Amino acid sequence: MSFITFEDVVREYKVGESVIRAVDGINFEIPEGAFTAILGQSGAGKTTVLNLLGGMDFATRGKIMVGGEEVSKMSEMSLTTYRRNIIGFVFQFYNLVPNLTALENVQLAKQICKDPLNPKEMLERVGLGKRMFNFPSQMSGGEQQRVSIARALAKNPKIILCDEPTGALDSGTGHIVLKLIKDIARDMNKTVIIVTHNAPIADMANCVIHMKDGLIREIKQNHTPKEVEEIVW
Amino acid sequence: MVKDVLVKKSIKDIQKALPQFISIFVMAAVAVSIVVGLDSLWKTIDENAKAMYQTSRLSDLWIGIMNPTEQDIWAVNHIEGVEETEKRLSLNVQTDLKDSPTLRLYTINEETSLDRPVIREGKWEESGEAILDENFAKSHGLKLGDTLSIKVNERWLDVRIQALALSSEHIFSIKDSTTLMPDASKYGFIVVDEDKIATAYGGQKIYNQINVRFAEKYDPKAIQESIDTVLGDDLIGIMTKKDNRSIQDVEVRIEQFITLSRVFPFMFFFVTALITLSTMSRLVEDQRNQIGTLKSLGFSGKSIIWHYTSYGVYIGLLGAVVGIYIGPLVIGKVLINQLRNLYVMDSYKMYLYMPNIIMGSILIVFCTGGVAAYSCLKIQEETPASLLRNKPPKKGNHVLLESIPVIWYKMKFSHMLIARNISKNKGRMLMGIFGVMGCSGLILGALTLNNTISGISKTMYEEVYSYDHIAMLDDKTTDKDIYNLHLDGVIQHMQESGIQILAAGGERRMARITILDGGSPLLHLINMQKQPITVDKDGIVLSNKLAETLGVIQGETVKLKVIDDSYQEVVVKDITYLVSNQGIYISRELWEKMGERYKPTSVFIKWHSKDRSFLQSDYVESYEAVENQKVSFEENLKIVYLSVVLLITFGGILAFVVLYNLSILNFFERLRDLATLQVLGFYKKEIRALVLVENLVSAIVGIFAGIPLGKLITDIIIKGFGENLDLISQVSKLNVLIAGVITFIFVIIVNLVVAKKIETIEMLQSLKSVE
Repeated sequence: MSFITFEDVVREYKVGESVIRAVDGINFEIPEGAFTAILGQSGAGKTTVLNLLGGMDFATRGKIMVGGEEVSKMSEMSLTTYRRNIIGFVFQFYNLVPNLTALENVQLAKQICKDPLNPKEMLERVGLGKRMFNFPSQMSGGEQQRVSIARALAKNPKIILCDEPTGALDSGTGHIVLKLIKDIARDMNKTVIIVTHNAPIADMANCVIHMKDGLIREIKQNHTPKEVEEIVW
Repeated sequence: MVKDVLVKKSIKDIQKALPQFISIFVMAAVAVSIVVGLDSLWKTIDENAKAMYQTSRLSDLWIGIMNPTEQDIWAVNHIEGVEETEKRLSLNVQTDLKDSPTLRLYTINEETSLDRPVIREGKWEESGEAILDENFAKSHGLKLGDTLSIKVNERWLDVRIQALALSSEHIFSIKDSTTLMPDASKYGFIVVDEDKIATAYGGQKIYNQINVRFAEKYDPKAIQESIDTVLGDDLIGIMTKKDNRSIQDVEVRIEQFITLSRVFPFMFFFVTALITLSTMSRLVEDQRNQIGTLKSLGFSGKSIIWHYTSYGVYIGLLGAVVGIYIGPLVIGKVLINQLRNLYVMDSYKMYLYMPNIIMGSILIVFCTGGVAAYSCLKIQEETPASLLRNKPPKKGNHVLLESIPVIWYKMKFSHMLIARNISKNKGRMLMGIFGVMGCSGLILGALTLNNTISGISKTMYEEVYSYDHIAMLDDKTTDKDIYNLHLDGVIQHMQESGIQILAAGGERRMARITILDGGSPLLHLINMQKQPITVDKDGIVLSNKLAETLGVIQGETVKLKVIDDSYQEVVVKDITYLVSNQGIYISRELWEKMGERYKPTSVFIKWHSKDRSFLQSDYVESYEAVENQKVSFEENLKIVYLSVVLLITFGGILAFVVLYNLSILNFFERLRDLATLQVLGFYKKEIRALVLVENLVSAIVGIFAGIPLGKLITDIIIKGFGENLDLISQVSKLNVLIAGVITFIFVIIVNLVVAKKIETIEMLQSLKSVE
């Protein structure tokens, strides 16, 4: 059995009288250590999938299994614990705590995890060893995103979820960030799932799940993923 | 319509931040209602008392003099500033009613125009006999046309009641120092035709007072000095309005409420302004983009400023209207009802104090509208373009604590976050501290007041006095009589009367003097250091409060007016601390050396046996048990307890409103941060702690800051008790603890409410976009 499995997962939202199906019965599997991209236009339901997998949202129906545990049956409390120990998030808008320095933002993760990695080393790993004591407002977008990656890594999670990590960055900075994610995932053998609407970015993944209108249109295994440097968008 | 759109927007904005706007409104209404309520209280007493003084033509001072000659009166009449004089007889008389209550007798004739009784029922005619105190009549079931016996000059006189009335000199009707609460069944007044009274003196008209009324705006001090000069040795003493227990008490009570209505609401106005500031700044900050949009659409800066200002103005006005309405209704009515038992007045028509209603309303609108305008002025300076751009991310800041790495790096992150937040939102923190400080201060003040007062009747009637009964002696009873009775118990007799005392600084009072004979087994005077003191031939003892009023210190000399003689200088040997019964204490030896005669007027008795027949004997005019004195003393202070309850209530409202606002603001401002933490895997209770610990920090600082405030509040209220009560407030550790705990409970309640809000954090929405 795969590390991550989605079985007939449905997520409905009630908007007034009508019901919107953001995810309409999807099935997929992701092996441990894989670099997966979920591709689709906005409204395709890809972020919903990420949220469901990240334990931030409840599935209306269906079964979500992660590492042998059924996430779709967890209580809110155990979902929090799940997020704590299993998941690392990288957001489109970084979501750093403005009142904490870069180092402290990374240390935040350390405070709550069972088996955290050294925050200083993580920051050095993302190339911010010299900016540890700066506040988010004193950093560029790319730097902030790197802090966010360091924070996700420091938790030593099994899965790293990235929601449009380059969405707010220019392409040069985006490249640096993507390369970082990919290299680290490979070095540390992390399962990475990246959500993007950019088809070229998906080319660097081992596996691309293509979504449209809440359905999976295609799951493509990519046996020769491109290097980040080769991608142009 | 351009305007309509903005009005709609206002309504929606207010709906969105309803709790905050409601708090502003509540605060504003409370602030105004306190001002208006407390003002209505003193204004009502003031106006109705003044109206009575005017109808009865109250004198400005009363000269004590035995049978003044025509020459005396002529001389007083010609003192500059004296407008009118009249002579009368004024003394306490016994009645033949049950428990032989005492009446203050005043004589009247056809021409009397000063200090006239205010007739409530019946009519005073030339051939008339007596006008009786209406309340006294009621409590004894006496009606118009009934006859009453009074004892004048050792003779019983029957007088017919022709009218029932009230008196300006008996609004607060207290017989003497042994009673503190008016009791209409025990003491009242009667006004009798002077011809009728003359029959008790063998047809001779006797007078012992000259009533003096001043022309407008004359210095009573200068007139008193002139009276002193012109009357010389004939003068017994001068009683001014300050020496009149009733007038003075009314005056003091008014002052007390004026002070309260000036000092007390300030905190509430201040807090209203603070809450408005934080709410409006937040709103304006939130709506940067909207303001930019409106500006770029072509709305003028003025109309945008007015748009935001109007929130404050309308809420302030609404608060003012509600405050003006409920202030007199709640605070006014409740307290006035308490006062009815204390002050007997012709009418209790409620008066409002207009200047402060207007001032208070303007002030509150300024605290809301003005502050709202201020909060959006900042943003006005920016161009529409910069407003439309997203605000640069909030700056983080280093705090002082970081310079001590040993501590800083040992701290949890949540604590670091709290430290940074506090240093960033200093204003808001300050507001929280103020709110809590106000709350704990008010509660502590209330408790301290309660303590100070509940302690005093005990000190007074268990420590200072140790008798079972105090008996007022009949005029005939002498010290030899008492000695010969061989009463079974400890006996201490003394003479009490009034005397003119003149300080070196020129300050003068008609003060109570107590002449003690021999030792003092049942009266235990102590000095300010709580050491016992004795009264002997070397000098007099002054009570602390009287000494303060006169501006006299230990070792100085003062002058006492001896009857039929000039002033005599005596040394103030000691100052004694007395809660109540302020006055002068002198030994019989010194008293007689001054040329006075000693004649006991009252006696303290601590019984050994159960035989109380002495109290019923002819030697005794009236008596009182110590327990009753204690009760009436506490009754008198009951109004204070009521203010205690009010203080605590307001303190609670204050703390609740401020902290609730603060927490909600804190919460919404950091919604995104909190959601991030939640996504990272922080448990809800950890997030709750993050928001609420800040409240706890301001609560703890505020509680401590409330200690001096509580002391201040107590002192202000105590000061208002006037010249009769000498209270020293002491903030006890227990009260600090209780006030702290109560405040803390308020804080916890607020926290529980806020914690509910935290449950509603939507992680997903907060992650989507930059604010």
